[in-house]
Amino acid sequence: MKQYDVIIAGGGVIGAACAYFLSRDTNLKIALVDLKKPGNASRASAGGLWAIGESVGLGCGVIFFKTLSKLQSEGDTEAAETLRPHQLPECFFELALKSNELYPALHEEMLARHDVDFKFERTGLKFIMYNRDDEIYADSIVSGIPNLSSQIRWLDQQQLREEEPYITPDAIGAIDFICDHQVNPYRLVDAYTEGARQNGVELFLNTEVLDVLREGNKVIGVRTQDQSLHCETLINAAGAWADDIYHQATGKHMPVYPVKGQIVLSERMPKVLNGCISTSDCYIAQKDNGEILIGSSTEEKGFDTTNSLDKITELSQGAMKCLPILKESSIKRCWAGLRPGTPDELPILGPVDGVEGYINACGHFRTGILMSAITGTLITELMTGKPTSVDLAPFRVERFE
Amino acid sequence: MPSCQKEKIVIVGAGPAGVSCAAELAKYGITSTLVDEAPKIGGVIYRGPLRQASKLPHLDENLKRAMAALKVRYEHHKQDITLQLQTKVLGPEGESGLLLQTENQLTQIDYTKLVLATGCHERSVPFEGWQLPGVMLMGGMQLQLKSGLVRPGKKVALVGTGPLLPLVACQLHKSGAQVVGVYEASRFSELAKETVALLNKPKLTLSGLSMLAYLKKHNIPFKYGYGIVKAEGQEKLSSVTVAPYDEHWHADLSKAQHLAVDSLGVGYGFVARTQLAMLLGVSHQYTTTNGYVPLLDDNLRSSLNSIFVCGDTNGLLGAEAAIIEGKMAATMLAYEQACLSESTFHTRMRKLKTKRKQTQKFRAGFDRFSALREGLLALTQADTVVCRCEQVKRQQLDLALQQGAKDLSSVKMRTRIGMGDCQGKMCSSYALDRLHAAGHLGTLGVIRPRFPLDPIPFTLLEKNHEAV
Ligand SMILES: Cc1cc2nc3c(=O)[nH]c(=O)nc-3n(C[C@H](O)[C@H](O)[C@H](O)COP(=O)(O)OP(=O)(O)OC[C@H]3O[C@@H](n4cnc5c(N)ncnc54)[C@H](O)[C@@H]3O)c2cc1C
Ligand SMILES: Cc1cc2nc3c(=O)[nH]c(=O)nc-3n(C[C@H](O)[C@H](O)[C@H](O)COP(=O)(O)OP(=O)(O)OC[C@H]3O[C@@H](n4cnc5c(N)ncnc54)[C@H](O)[C@@H]3O)c2cc1C
Repeated sequence: MKQYDVIIAGGGVIGAACAYFLSRDTNLKIALVDLKKPGNASRASAGGLWAIGESVGLGCGVIFFKTLSKLQSEGDTEAAETLRPHQLPECFFELALKSNELYPALHEEMLARHDVDFKFERTGLKFIMYNRDDEIYADSIVSGIPNLSSQIRWLDQQQLREEEPYITPDAIGAIDFICDHQVNPYRLVDAYTEGARQNGVELFLNTEVLDVLREGNKVIGVRTQDQSLHCETLINAAGAWADDIYHQATGKHMPVYPVKGQIVLSERMPKVLNGCISTSDCYIAQKDNGEILIGSSTEEKGFDTTNSLDKITELSQGAMKCLPILKESSIKRCWAGLRPGTPDELPILGPVDGVEGYINACGHFRTGILMSAITGTLITELMTGKPTSVDLAPFRVERFE
Repeated sequence: MPSCQKEKIVIVGAGPAGVSCAAELAKYGITSTLVDEAPKIGGVIYRGPLRQASKLPHLDENLKRAMAALKVRYEHHKQDITLQLQTKVLGPEGESGLLLQTENQLTQIDYTKLVLATGCHERSVPFEGWQLPGVMLMGGMQLQLKSGLVRPGKKVALVGTGPLLPLVACQLHKSGAQVVGVYEASRFSELAKETVALLNKPKLTLSGLSMLAYLKKHNIPFKYGYGIVKAEGQEKLSSVTVAPYDEHWHADLSKAQHLAVDSLGVGYGFVARTQLAMLLGVSHQYTTTNGYVPLLDDNLRSSLNSIFVCGDTNGLLGAEAAIIEGKMAATMLAYEQACLSESTFHTRMRKLKTKRKQTQKFRAGFDRFSALREGLLALTQADTVVCRCEQVKRQQLDLALQQGAKDLSSVKMRTRIGMGDCQGKMCSSYALDRLHAAGHLGTLGVIRPRFPLDPIPFTLLEKNHEAV
């Protein structure tokens, strides 16, 4: 019978990050168990580290924004001015920004120690404005985050043309979030996983956690299709499927559910974008290999991972409007992933009252790539009894009770 | 006519299997939509250099009769079959639709029952120098012949296995090329007797000679138990090395021969064209003969209740079997909608299954041709590119396997094999066969091909008004 200190259920970016940070900073005996289910989020992701952008509802949240902005243009100006952007609470900003700060050093560390490169790129995230409505919206974003003004640049039409010559000349300007960057999300998962493997983590890939083993209120291990694996602590990093594991571990349910996002990817193109782009229709990011990624829809359709012509069309038209040179290219690929959504859009982190040997690391919704570094750090702090770098109270599952 | 029809049926692939299925459905009064990317019905038999020929000299009498009968059935039932040619199925759309691309439009079609009859494609085998201009698959060679690109005097060698090899050799010679040799990997003693008969059958187009007799008359060497070792050249192909193969197709380098050539045709069998079935989520199993094939029940139903698979997609069967399988799927579909009685259903199905068994002889012959022997996997060098699109070298695959990758997705993630434009059509069978050879049979994993199956020009979406 195999015995571990820690078993991590789920090997997406969150599980892999936990495995990496734990194996880097402790001597614990660790196993990572993962079966890639269709729609797993990390490989579906855009790879944006859009700490400010996501916190104010751009990037992946842009579909929310679009509905808001429509409301705005329909209503009178008075009402429009009182409408706020989709801004998340302070604790989310803190988590996002702290995580974001970790990537430059992490990138160098992983390259040097493990010879893996997750393609960290300093890009910024530009919100492109086409008209007065967009300007009003940008204004209200900026006035909502006065403490972050040093991270924001206003670009007028001329400056935008100089910095992003391929963006449509119809754009009237942009705001740029200086500290928002991007990575290659597959490579990030791969880097964490390979780093963890080199640090001695045992990988059980293609392996499903079928049951959680319990003794009273203590979790003691998991059963897979091949064997039982025992542990002192089980970390639940099962993404959109996390409630299954939670239910087995605690007998209760928590509100983590799949939120589908469709993405459109172009063929490789010469470098046409210097930074990541968000408009009111979509976001656009040119990845390290030249492909242009256009995202993303936000749909609650259970575990469905199909693509649909309406969303593909919507995203493509939004992107062609912003970046006309796309008309010379083709869609090479589309896919859909399942974000692990929560009702308040905050992740679910930390232990659970009344249950021993169990920790949540899930519910990262549309920012799991960005939040992976801080999540790995926090879980490691928890496991070693150190004070956590961020107060976990707002993220505990008990908030839903 | 009052129809018993309850389902909306879409058939993908208008080859022998798909056409037969549509015609059989019509016989029961059931309408269907038949979609194919080709400009004509009939499937792969009518492709290649022989398409224009009104005679199909490469087919035997039985098959010619079967194809003629199929044409008659189709003509007779045309009014119940909505034919959408030059329409590519790009993949699933929503939960019960398909995304279609025509010349200037992107559309979708809904179904309640789907029949996949998508056929198969050529297997690509990496070896040292396989990427040099001048090295091509047999299909590419046929295309060159057809487009008149084969200039007289061109020096060509053919390596591979199966009846296509001598056939293409004869055609090349007829169009003036100098065929320096044909190298069949199987030994003569291993060939099925049906195959030998096919090779020795007189053909009108070859002035009444059999393929083998034609080759002999023109002093074209045809060697059994021989195969490729490597191809060489500076900018383009200038020479190839061939050697005797043992029964596992391991080359005996001590007896290697060098040939000066400008062209090399390679044909080591076929793999089922199952990308669409995979995208739709149908369960598959790995076979050494045809790569992944869908798991089907006795009546050709896949792991998904609404999807049937027939013809070459389900392993290489040959055209006659494909026609029968098309009928089987149709019969099952008709029965399910109560368009035919239980007893009629059982009688017909039994007959069809018996007939299919009879045609399996041909399949046995073909299977042998497609069975990839392990020796072929050993032809690569450490720095041989095994994935063209992403330029991944064999040593990167070796490393991924060493690091514990036991499945195709991990291999893909670590090496980028299969991430390029060909969607792994070219390289994934090599990676799969390597994983298989490394003993990871239980974990190979199915990698879902990418959606869409072919790139979609953005401009096709400019005018789509579906967007909100
Ligand atoms: C279209 C799209 C775009 C996105 N863009 C961004 C972005 O730009 N920036 C950003 O920060 N975030 C982005 N996200 C969000 C981000 O991808 C997710 O928040 C993050 O990937 C969640 O990681 P995870 O490890 O929790 O989940 P997953 O990646 O889904 O990993 C969970 C893993 O656990 C496995 N699993 C589940 N149950 C079991 C079991 N019982 N046994 C074994 N294994 C199991 C799953 O199969 C999966 O492999 C995007 C998401 C989508 C869908
Ligand atoms: C040169 C040659 C000689 C042969 N000789 C013989 C012989 O003598 N005897 C014999 O029995 N067999 C022979 N065969 C094999 C025979 O042709 C096949 O077994 C038969 O055609 C299989 O029929 P099918 O309907 O399953 O597939 P196919 O004929 O391959 O038809 C599949 C169709 O599906 C279409 N399709 C696939 N994917 C898509 C998509 N995504 N969107 C739209 N359309 C799609 C393709 O365009 C194609 O038309 C020969 C084949 C060749 C090439």
